[in-house]
Amino acid sequence: MAIDLKAVEGLAADQASLKAAAGLAKPGKWTGTGRSHDGALVWGECAGSGANPYRVIGDLRDLGAKCTCPSRKFPCKHALALFWLDAEALVAFPAGETPDWVSEWVGRRRGGAGKPVSTAPKDLAAALAVDAPVVEDEAAVTRREAASAKRAADTERAILDALEALEQWIGDQLRLGLAGFVDEATVRCRRIAARLVDGKAAVLGGQVDEVPARLLGLPAGDRVRGAAAELSGLFLLARAFRGSPRDPELRRAVAVAENREALLADPATLRVAGAWEVVAERVRTRRDGLVARTGWLLNLGPEGPRFAMLTDVYPASAGRRGSAFAPGEQFAGELAFYPARSPLRAVLVSREAGDAPALDWPAPDPDQAAALTAPLLAEPWATERPVLLPAGRIGTDHAGTAWWRASDGATLLPIAEAAGLATATELTHAAMLWSGGRLELLAARTPWGRIDG
Amino acid sequence: MVEAAGVEGTLDAMGPVLARWTMGGSALPAAPAGWRAALGNEAGEAELRLLALAGQFLGTAVIAEPAGEIAVAPDLPRLALPPLPDPLRARAKRVLAQLRSGESRRDLLDFLEGRGRTLHPGDWLPGPGDAVPAVYAPWQDWVTARAVRVDEDGIEDLAALGPAARRVALAALRARDPAAARAAIATQLAVGGADARLTLVETLGVGLSADDRPLLENLATDRAPRVKALAASLLARLGGGGYEAEAAELAAFFPVRTKGILRRTRAVAIEPVKTPAQGRRRAALMAEVPFAVFAQALGMAPLELVEAWPWRADTAADHGLATMAARSADDAAVARIADAVAEPAILAPLVPRLSPVGRHRAGLRLLQSGATFGQTLGVAGGSAGIDGAIRTPAGTALLANLTKADARPADATEELTALGLLASREGAREALARCGVAGLVAADPRLDMLRLNAALDEDPR
Repeated sequence: MAIDLKAVEGLAADQASLKAAAGLAKPGKWTGTGRSHDGALVWGECAGSGANPYRVIGDLRDLGAKCTCPSRKFPCKHALALFWLDAEALVAFPAGETPDWVSEWVGRRRGGAGKPVSTAPKDLAAALAVDAPVVEDEAAVTRREAASAKRAADTERAILDALEALEQWIGDQLRLGLAGFVDEATVRCRRIAARLVDGKAAVLGGQVDEVPARLLGLPAGDRVRGAAAELSGLFLLARAFRGSPRDPELRRAVAVAENREALLADPATLRVAGAWEVVAERVRTRRDGLVARTGWLLNLGPEGPRFAMLTDVYPASAGRRGSAFAPGEQFAGELAFYPARSPLRAVLVSREAGDAPALDWPAPDPDQAAALTAPLLAEPWATERPVLLPAGRIGTDHAGTAWWRASDGATLLPIAEAAGLATATELTHAAMLWSGGRLELLAARTPWGRIDG
Repeated sequence: MVEAAGVEGTLDAMGPVLARWTMGGSALPAAPAGWRAALGNEAGEAELRLLALAGQFLGTAVIAEPAGEIAVAPDLPRLALPPLPDPLRARAKRVLAQLRSGESRRDLLDFLEGRGRTLHPGDWLPGPGDAVPAVYAPWQDWVTARAVRVDEDGIEDLAALGPAARRVALAALRARDPAAARAAIATQLAVGGADARLTLVETLGVGLSADDRPLLENLATDRAPRVKALAASLLARLGGGGYEAEAAELAAFFPVRTKGILRRTRAVAIEPVKTPAQGRRRAALMAEVPFAVFAQALGMAPLELVEAWPWRADTAADHGLATMAARSADDAAVARIADAVAEPAILAPLVPRLSPVGRHRAGLRLLQSGATFGQTLGVAGGSAGIDGAIRTPAGTALLANLTKADARPADATEELTALGLLASREGAREALARCGVAGLVAADPRLDMLRLNAALDEDPR
């Protein structure tokens, strides 16, 4: 099965799509390209603005396509670029076993979806033409920079005001009583979260909105302690930001993350090339209507942070998105970490084609107590941190609460919701999230093989 | 700061601090002495600083204590068969998600067992009451927290086994030494609940003989109606037990005639039912009268009745006789009926009484006579290993359905899965090739079961 460029041109919704696709139809932007054995499907991953690459599938029989990007155009520029790459043979599409995410889409799609929806005239040659650079005069540059600086100052002022309101609110909760706060957490948190969002502290607003859910996840007798710890974290973050509002890590925790381009353009950015395993993926619909998709990667090599967290947030109204990774998948690639006292959040810069040889998990930190507490001391506002634990076993106490116990008996930690095989065998290694004084199983290696949490 | 005050002392101070915040109000008077200097003199600010220190202390230096000793479950036992290898687990999980009912999941388990594999325990574990193949008994007992190694040859202490392992051990003993099994069952009947007794009595169904009659007659007075009904049904299979008057009344609905001039054979005819009330009475009698007694009322041996019955003349009567046989006929009569009919609805009640070979044979005939893969699976079960299944009428109909002009993505999902469960490995490969020609992409998730089948070696045992 083959496609020609004329068909790509016909498929594009408009000239702008075609132009954007021309920019993406370059081998360097794509990884993981492949073709089904019967030649009907092509797929690949294209770097976008998020932490994860977009996954793109094309059906050459009817030019149907699917992409995990949030674009409302159909087909999107990534799908057009994929067809373009195939039509021009710009990258190899080796025939291989169809990945699960491709099969999943095939099972859900309706036939005939790839027919062109627009008959507006489009021109391939124009799409390929290089635009002349726009020349700005010096005065315009100065005006633009001044406007930008004023906007930044206004934003900072608004955030500081919002944080002052947050501190006031925290003091009120202590005065009114944490028992009442636990009972009415949803309403009270919603109110201050809205104030924070209005004050440009959107990320912190989102975090405050999630406090009630985290408290409800704790045993009833532990919620007041949990509430004190949550409020303490919020206060410490607010105070830290007020102390150094230009700190990129604090700005990311309070207001907004740097965009991908800025991160990659910064020569100081920590880049780690190596082998990674996808230990888990968590998709959560937040109270503010956004969906947070978080991939947890384990660094299988000796250099760099032990874990990486790839997070993308998008509106729930954008619909269901395919996963960028399958848990258990190992790959070689380069990650760029956002600057932080204890780097964790990252974006995927590139991913090597082909299957990496299966690697063992690395040895856990010898000092478990330090591994658990050091990141929380560095970032006391962090709500969760991944840890790699040594051999251990999950059991229950007399009250039915689950606990993880190290095989050497030296460490005993509470764990949330463990069932099935995880409780029926030794966990030779375990990747877990340490959150609110409890563990959550992400994945483990066992004598039965890898199991997911 | 914590070191100065001492971790224990700080921890002790946290109780009163949290208590004051719980009710509302200032906790400053209860603050640890070592923190006082850092808190400052301004009340509001000091309260927030105390919160910051307390929160960080509680979050990093304090971990909850368990309530008593930690109990660890025993290791999940290894089964006699290996679990699916990792590369096939994702596909098996998808198939498992498609198969929602217990029966269809059982078909997958039977299929995998036929190929010498089990599901991976990371993907599925049986529930305590699930009807699963015997190979899973150790897991089932682990799930009910009574994991005990199954040893079919050493069941001196049956009470030490979990319920699933006990069921398997008793079934094995029954096949080997029916009298010893009967004695063991009689002992166990005295100690179990109704469900356990029902399982024990079911075990008697294999190798049933007149020697079991005294035990079954004792059970006719059991306090659980289900146990009582099963014992009565088993007694009926042994013959005798009354119902002569009802059988005579029923026989009047089915006069016996002779046919042929040289070799005069007897054939059962069916009197037309004149009123709905008459039809209901006939159905009620068929649900009550034992098979052997009915045959006797017609002046025939049970096997002779199967031969003389006018199959396909009256579906309700066929179904009634098949249900009667499933309930009360001996194994030979049940097997003969299964050989005589090729109607899914008539075969369905007989399935629990058929041996695996008998089920496969009946399923194959059903398939050749035009039944769908789904109907065939209901009879043959998940380990039939049928070659050339796609070349049967069901296969032809399936391919036509897939290639019709208005075909939709979810069309024929159940038929393709049933085909995947029924086919041999060679049959699955052939079916995949034909589906490819029909326009299905290899990645189509409807083909998951066929692809799992094609990827699994035949049983290495």
